[in-house]
Amino acid sequence: MAYDYQAVHALDGMIGAIAERRANHLSVHRTMAIAMVLAGPGQTAEAAGILVSNGEFEARFSGPGEWLVLSQVHAPETLAAELSVRLGGFAFVVDQSHGRVVLTLSGPDAARILANGIAVDLHADAFPVGRAANVLCNHLSLNLVRTGDQSFDLVVMRSFAGALVDDLKVMARSHDLSVDFATR
Amino acid sequence: MSAFRLASGGLVDRSHTLRFTFDGASLTGHAGDTLASALLANDRLLLGRSFKYHRPRGIMTAGPSEPNGLVTVGSGARRDPNTKATVAELYDGLEARSQNRWPSLAYDIGAVNNLMSRFLSAGFYYKTFMWPAAFWEKVYEPLIRRAAGLGRTDLPRDPDAYEKSWAHCDLLVVGAGPAGLAAALVAARSGLRVILAEQDFVLGGALLSETAPVGGEPPYVFARRVVEELQNSPNVTLMPRTTVFGWYDDNVFGALERVQKDVAALDAAKPVERLWRIVAKHAILATGAEERPLVFGGNDRPGIMTASAVSTYANRFGVAAGKSVAIFTNGSSGYRTAQDLAARGVEIAVLIDSRAASGDVAPDGVRLVRGGSIVDTKGRQRVRAVVADRGGFEELIGCDAVAMSGGWSPVIHLACQRGGKPVWSEALQAFMAPEAGPALVTAGAAAGHYRLSECFDDGARKASAIVEAIGRQAVGIERPVIGEETDPSFTALWHVPGAKSKAFVDFQNDVHTGDLGLAVREGFGHVEHAKRYTTGGMATDQGKLGNINAIGILAGMRGVSPAEVGTTTFRPFYTPVSFGALAGTSVDGHAMPIRRSPLHGWAARNGAVFIDAGLWYRSSWFPKAGEKTWRESVDREVRTVRENAGLCDVSTLGKIEVFGPDAAEFLSRLYCNPVLKLPVGKARYGLMLREDGMVYDDGTVSRLGEDHFFVTTTTALAGGVLSHMEFAAQVLWPDLRVRFLSVSDQWAQMSIAGPKARAILQAVVEDDISNAAFPFLAARAVRLKGNLKARLFRISFSGELAYELAVPAGYGEAVADALMRAGAPHGICAYGVETLNVLRLEKGHVTHAELDGRVTPDDAGLGRMMGTSKPDFIGKRLSARFGLTAADRAQLVGLKVLEPEKDIRAGAHLLKDGAKPSTLNDQGWVSSACFSPTLGGHIALAFLKSGRERYGEKIVVWDQLRGVETFAEVCDPVFVDRENTKLMA
Amino acid sequence: MASLISCPHCGTRPKEEFFIRGDANPVRPAPMATDEAWNDYVHLRVNPRGRIREHWQHVAGCRRWLVVERDNFTHEVFAVTDAAKAGEGAR
Repeated sequence: MAYDYQAVHALDGMIGAIAERRANHLSVHRTMAIAMVLAGPGQTAEAAGILVSNGEFEARFSGPGEWLVLSQVHAPETLAAELSVRLGGFAFVVDQSHGRVVLTLSGPDAARILANGIAVDLHADAFPVGRAANVLCNHLSLNLVRTGDQSFDLVVMRSFAGALVDDLKVMARSHDLSVDFATR
Repeated sequence: MSAFRLASGGLVDRSHTLRFTFDGASLTGHAGDTLASALLANDRLLLGRSFKYHRPRGIMTAGPSEPNGLVTVGSGARRDPNTKATVAELYDGLEARSQNRWPSLAYDIGAVNNLMSRFLSAGFYYKTFMWPAAFWEKVYEPLIRRAAGLGRTDLPRDPDAYEKSWAHCDLLVVGAGPAGLAAALVAARSGLRVILAEQDFVLGGALLSETAPVGGEPPYVFARRVVEELQNSPNVTLMPRTTVFGWYDDNVFGALERVQKDVAALDAAKPVERLWRIVAKHAILATGAEERPLVFGGNDRPGIMTASAVSTYANRFGVAAGKSVAIFTNGSSGYRTAQDLAARGVEIAVLIDSRAASGDVAPDGVRLVRGGSIVDTKGRQRVRAVVADRGGFEELIGCDAVAMSGGWSPVIHLACQRGGKPVWSEALQAFMAPEAGPALVTAGAAAGHYRLSECFDDGARKASAIVEAIGRQAVGIERPVIGEETDPSFTALWHVPGAKSKAFVDFQNDVHTGDLGLAVREGFGHVEHAKRYTTGGMATDQGKLGNINAIGILAGMRGVSPAEVGTTTFRPFYTPVSFGALAGTSVDGHAMPIRRSPLHGWAARNGAVFIDAGLWYRSSWFPKAGEKTWRESVDREVRTVRENAGLCDVSTLGKIEVFGPDAAEFLSRLYCNPVLKLPVGKARYGLMLREDGMVYDDGTVSRLGEDHFFVTTTTALAGGVLSHMEFAAQVLWPDLRVRFLSVSDQWAQMSIAGPKARAILQAVVEDDISNAAFPFLAARAVRLKGNLKARLFRISFSGELAYELAVPAGYGEAVADALMRAGAPHGICAYGVETLNVLRLEKGHVTHAELDGRVTPDDAGLGRMMGTSKPDFIGKRLSARFGLTAADRAQLVGLKVLEPEKDIRAGAHLLKDGAKPSTLNDQGWVSSACFSPTLGGHIALAFLKSGRERYGEKIVVWDQLRGVETFAEVCDPVFVDRENTKLMA
Repeated sequence: MASLISCPHCGTRPKEEFFIRGDANPVRPAPMATDEAWNDYVHLRVNPRGRIREHWQHVAGCRRWLVVERDNFTHEVFAVTDAAKAGEGAR
């Protein structure tokens, strides 16, 4: 018997192929190395110092002393171990590569679409590029970060990914939106 | 040209004709019309019957305070009752129907109520329908429901889409009249983020119906110019057709945008209405002022309108309210309407001024009666004459419309919705907005500045102050030169003495002066009492038009000032908001999010029937070909697990990873059982109590490292337990060095249970999992063949040799498939939560069906787990209190049904044989029940008083819902393998 | 329709993002404190009108427990503090 396990994405079977991208586009990332970092008691500053975002990974604020770290460089299997080594005794690191789904919403109406479910002021002055926050979107919680003038990353619990995509389609009812897996 | 449409003038597009129907009749209007202006142009004055007396009623205003012009628009599932004709934008294909009439608008049987009116006085519900009591439900209520009420709704579900959105701004301006436009312009030029909301479909407010030139051009042209500048400002959002209906905590405003209420063919890509929650740093209410009706005999006849409405229909819509209009006024505004009509060639029958003297001058050739009044009107479906009175001398004056002006009231509703009470102004004879703090100010007519020039100045001044408060430089605007302005002064006249017929105060609820008098005489003179007693100021209208006169009249009757009478309480919503808009997108599948297990696809491929379990979709059972009922499938699954093996998805359990040097101490205080000495690589059942000593939740605690634990919770309380732990760590014991995180979604977790479980698992797991190497309650990381990291726990909920295997969620389906392949030669089956329930019940394991918040560990038979030697844990102290240790508490027992043909169900109560059902005789209750394929009969878990001493007793299971009594035998709750030989094998 | 709470970690958020536990004043007694102290802590709550201190958790945000000082009549919010910090001050 061969044991070659193929990973299944939470949204496999829920997103069809599209002919072309529309003005606004929701891109679902197939794999992403994700880890949660919890600073050790009293060691928030030390952990934050080590987690300064660089080309390798990006640390997004989740709560005091807690960051969601994403990496396109490291593999899901190795990011947590890599971070553990770097953070040493300053933090606990938990692999979340399978626990979360990352989506990128981009387009001229991105902020307007999100305003149909999110109460946070997403005006560029109030929520500039790089700002991250855990927010409520309709009924579910997600980590939101502005990645550009017209683009946002949404990181959601895996089990809610389907519900979020369904919600985003409804939120974008009046705005041209396409949904697809990211090609990378 | 239709009957009452003027030859020229107005802002309607006469080149663009729109077709619509009213009560089936085909009519036409123009783009820019409201339904009301188009109906008036077509001589359709009669729009409905009144609420109580079924008197004919017509349009009375030209805006959102309209009490009578309520129609039903659309049909079927799209039927919109109580649409204000004065607000509804006319569109091609609009279908409107009159309401509250039967069988027809012109001949209404209910009008007999008018003749019976002495029985329908204030408080009539409370007085008339008292006896006999049984008549209320069968006779009176259906009759009243048929006779009264405003419109009706339909049962088919609303097919339309709605949306809810958030918006944020530095300044929200409510109302786009002269004050609102000036305020928005100052704020826009000063760089603020501005939202300008206006309920009308055209921005401009009073400028759309004013005639005095502004900046040398017609006022609407000026308005258009300002709107254009605002439109081109990137920091300004214009929201026409948007009614701000509520002012909420922290300066959040609720607003309803009518997105597609102006078209017959809906664009499916858009919502019909959008509900906005506008978070505003500052807000300016520039909501204008409302003209008051006058309370005189017969003042409700169709054709009688407020004078400003008559002016608006003439100036903005090019529609004459009548061919010969009588004007009745207590101030200068009536003269303004006379000028407007005279300028457009509409005949003025008479201008009656209630004041004996004033400086106002009537247009040339208009008959002016100073110090006069109207005491009655004539006509049926349209007014045809007024009875004028001057010094006791009555005169019948023919006319076909009456314009009445009773003075002005600032529109201050929003400013009073958070508890502030309106303040009476003796100078303005009106209630003014209370001081509402820096975040909300009124401007223009809403602040009592009625003249156009004052409106501009006030709006600009208040916006400048806000700009500066925000810390920016205010960019001023130059006020345009304004032509001749009307003096808004008036002399209050709450009601006209000597009325010869009913003088209505509240037109929507049919409340007249006599009702208010009765309320005062019967002790209901307090303004809030009078409202409930007379129904004045209720329903969709909420007294927008009539309340101020009611207050003035009550004040007069009680001999006090209106200030002393005060107002009723202002609450949202300013105008009605549809349920659809309030629900927004939270309907159907979007009412709550669906959670899918990482093994969902695997379960679906194996034919699972799914069931909602909280937010989760869980596999309930897995029917095989030929199985006709769920019981057949479940019985087979249970037998397969007991004889071979089964695989069940348990990914929905809450999973929490706990770290830190104090992790063990922390968990020791959370669980009632000992945790500190749990060895690394071992799992343990864990029971959490509430501080009151009752069981909160149960699960497992596994020690993966000295300072690293993995705990599970039940599916139902996964969120609750996490919050509970966070409270304990952050609030109760912030000094403990512990960190934890929910990892529920990271892992796909499956239970492999049954005598063949090890053999199947060993085919997939690289590590040695023999009984010696991986004994009962072992818990540690393993490597699967194919080099996949996993976690394995030897724990059992079924009583069988069992394991729970956790793999990264994305690999869940592949690993489950591999296990099913490896298990095929061993006869493995997939099983769902139904079978899980039967298995645990046979083994006497508890779930939240048992742990319902009233149960102590000892009640559940788990008393021996309590770590009583621990210095502290949540629930320890109150576990020892009197009552929780009483000997006659209900204790967990098993029940075996003694009558083979009968089942028992959860919720049934237990009685001694021969005892009558009563609270006193109650012996306990059934918490869960099932058919046990292993025992071949129905069994249950139950709580029975002193139950553990009563094994072997025959007891009655009393099911009142089904009216069934069943004999059962009390037994040990563990029905299978009491010695745990299978578990340890 | 809405109320806004300013989370010290996340900024201004609608109340829907929070879970409200209740009175933040009772302090968990020592294990061996009197029966009366424990009874008070577990069962008794004052229900004042006006200024109150409550435990709110920002469940949809940072998941921190906060002490919200507010007026339950006017709904004015005076202060929002992280509960761990608020506790330090009390000790």
